[in-house]
Amino acid sequence: MAGIGGAETTGKKVGWGVLNTVVVIYALVPVLWIVSLSFKSSETLADGNFIPREWSLENYQNIFSTTEFTRALVNSIGIAIIATTIAVVFGTMAAYAIARLDFPGKNLLVGVSLLIAMFPQVSLVSPLFEIERSLGLFDTWPGLILPYITFALPLAIYTLSAFFREIPWELEKAAKMDGATPGQAFRRVIAPLAAPGVFTTAILVFIFCWNDFLFAISLTSTEQTRTVPVALSFFTGSSQFEDPAGSIAAAAVVITIPIILFVLFFQRRIVAGLTSGAVKG
Amino acid sequence: MAEIVLDQVTKRYPDGALAVQEVNLEIADGEFIILVGPSGCGKSTTLNMIAGLEDITDGELRIGGQRVNERAPKDRDIAMVFQSYALYPHMTVKENMAFPLRLAKVDNATVERKVQEAAEILDLTQHLDRKPSNLSGGQRQRVAMGRAIVRSPKAFLMDEPLSNLDAKLRVQMRTSVSRLQKQLGTTTVYVTHDQTEAMTLGDRVVVMRGGVVQQIGAPQFLYEHPANLFVAGFIGSPSMNFVPATLENGALRSVLGDCTLTDRVRQLVEGSDAPREVIMGIRPEHFEDAALVDAAALSSGGKFTSQVDVLESMGSDKYAYFNLTGEQAASAELQELAADAGADDVPGDGISLVTRLSSASGAVEGASADIWFDADKVQLFDPSSGRNLTYTER
Repeated sequence: MAGIGGAETTGKKVGWGVLNTVVVIYALVPVLWIVSLSFKSSETLADGNFIPREWSLENYQNIFSTTEFTRALVNSIGIAIIATTIAVVFGTMAAYAIARLDFPGKNLLVGVSLLIAMFPQVSLVSPLFEIERSLGLFDTWPGLILPYITFALPLAIYTLSAFFREIPWELEKAAKMDGATPGQAFRRVIAPLAAPGVFTTAILVFIFCWNDFLFAISLTSTEQTRTVPVALSFFTGSSQFEDPAGSIAAAAVVITIPIILFVLFFQRRIVAGLTSGAVKG
Repeated sequence: MAEIVLDQVTKRYPDGALAVQEVNLEIADGEFIILVGPSGCGKSTTLNMIAGLEDITDGELRIGGQRVNERAPKDRDIAMVFQSYALYPHMTVKENMAFPLRLAKVDNATVERKVQEAAEILDLTQHLDRKPSNLSGGQRQRVAMGRAIVRSPKAFLMDEPLSNLDAKLRVQMRTSVSRLQKQLGTTTVYVTHDQTEAMTLGDRVVVMRGGVVQQIGAPQFLYEHPANLFVAGFIGSPSMNFVPATLENGALRSVLGDCTLTDRVRQLVEGSDAPREVIMGIRPEHFEDAALVDAAALSSGGKFTSQVDVLESMGSDKYAYFNLTGEQAASAELQELAADAGADDVPGDGISLVTRLSSASGAVEGASADIWFDADKVQLFDPSSGRNLTYTER
């Protein structure tokens, strides 16, 4: 292997290696900068050193000392998990129907969901604000969960129907012949095979909900419902002359951790080629 | 265990296309029946209707004496083996085979026992804990069979189960399918487009064309007494030779020379109101090198001389191919057969003829040869309707 076109391969490898390194550095430097900031004390915050001269947990102690951040963390986790679960459950059913069945209005449904996904969210903020205020949903968990589901569903349906189309139709026929009801065929044969798709979709939807700032800042007004991205923007220093950058950095690091955990946890389940061996070819 | 009866079963799609037209078929308990025909002839649709995967537009389907038209597949108690095997990739071989039993809420000990039994029959015991993706094609095929036999259903339906295997394995699996069916004695409906499988496997064969049953009968009977041109051309490999011929005062004129009809053939032809222009069909094995035929037979048969185009020696026999000048036999059936065999675009004028000669024949490729054929084995067909004019039940 090494003998054939060795020089060219080495050249290519070096080229790709350099390019990859540049991309990784470009992406990681801001993240590392935030991490570095979060470990600096307020005195050394603006000293411009990439590696802190003295390490301090002061910022972390600060953000966890008040309920402002911890409450927001609970809100974020709760709202994102509920919205993700609902969107994935409904998305799975809808995607299955779209991939498998021929029903009147199917194309319309797909079109409408695509339309929703493309709609500029900022234009919906004021109407939503008015609607939620009159319905009493303003500044509540459901008030955020509902719009999240609305925008996450098209995403879920699109990702999932692609996965469902990959599953051989004959497996379902086989399940029927083996004595399964349509429900059993779905639960015991189709759903396990679609699992990688479901987890991929769950990750995407969760990240979408977790990162949202626009709806969260417009549709909440108190600490009771504020999510972390919003809470961050309300951080202030202990006096008006103090820069809250350290605390913001620490909070940013903290809220990145669930996302990393979430991806790592589900990544193992996204096994490519799960359906191989079902049918020949 | 049950007999399956198709009574005027018809499938019409919403767009009006007729896939299967008034199929009448009585499948006896324990019988192995083959549905055969070119692609698009409605054989798979018929099988899917028996399975319950497709609705029956018209007619009645009875399994074990009960009408099952409206029953879901799971309530018909029949198992199916798919062309693609359709194994559940997330389950091991054992779980795949146990799946129908688990759905039927069979207790664990019984499931374990039945899966073991099936695995032994199919020689899968050492593969029980593997996933389908780690199995070879033949093993996957056996797992699919295993999943069908574990719950001892009333009938097996098989949709081209061997067509994904390579040629050698296919022959091997063919005999094991046949043995398995005899061993279990379960009614089996088997769909294939391969006439060799149809000939070798079935108790009876149903030949279909364009959604219509052409003929039903034992393989040997279909071979010897095809009801029409289509069956004659479809059954047999290499297939029957077809040559346009003219009937004149009890003699048959064609590019294969003139020959007198034997009494048996003449009586059949006279009884069937034959036209003057006919298509003469003759199987490759009914030809012989004229030098090897005794004088009595020689005078009663037909004889022609032509240059051997290609000669294939099989050891036991020699296949001699000829290309005779003349018009090809023309009929809708023959065109369809040629299209199915992919031969319709092979260039070539004239009539191509396949003959099977004795290995003692001195025929040489490129040289001229005297060929005799048995006039008593000639079958005559009506070119317009395709009907066999020499058809007889005996």
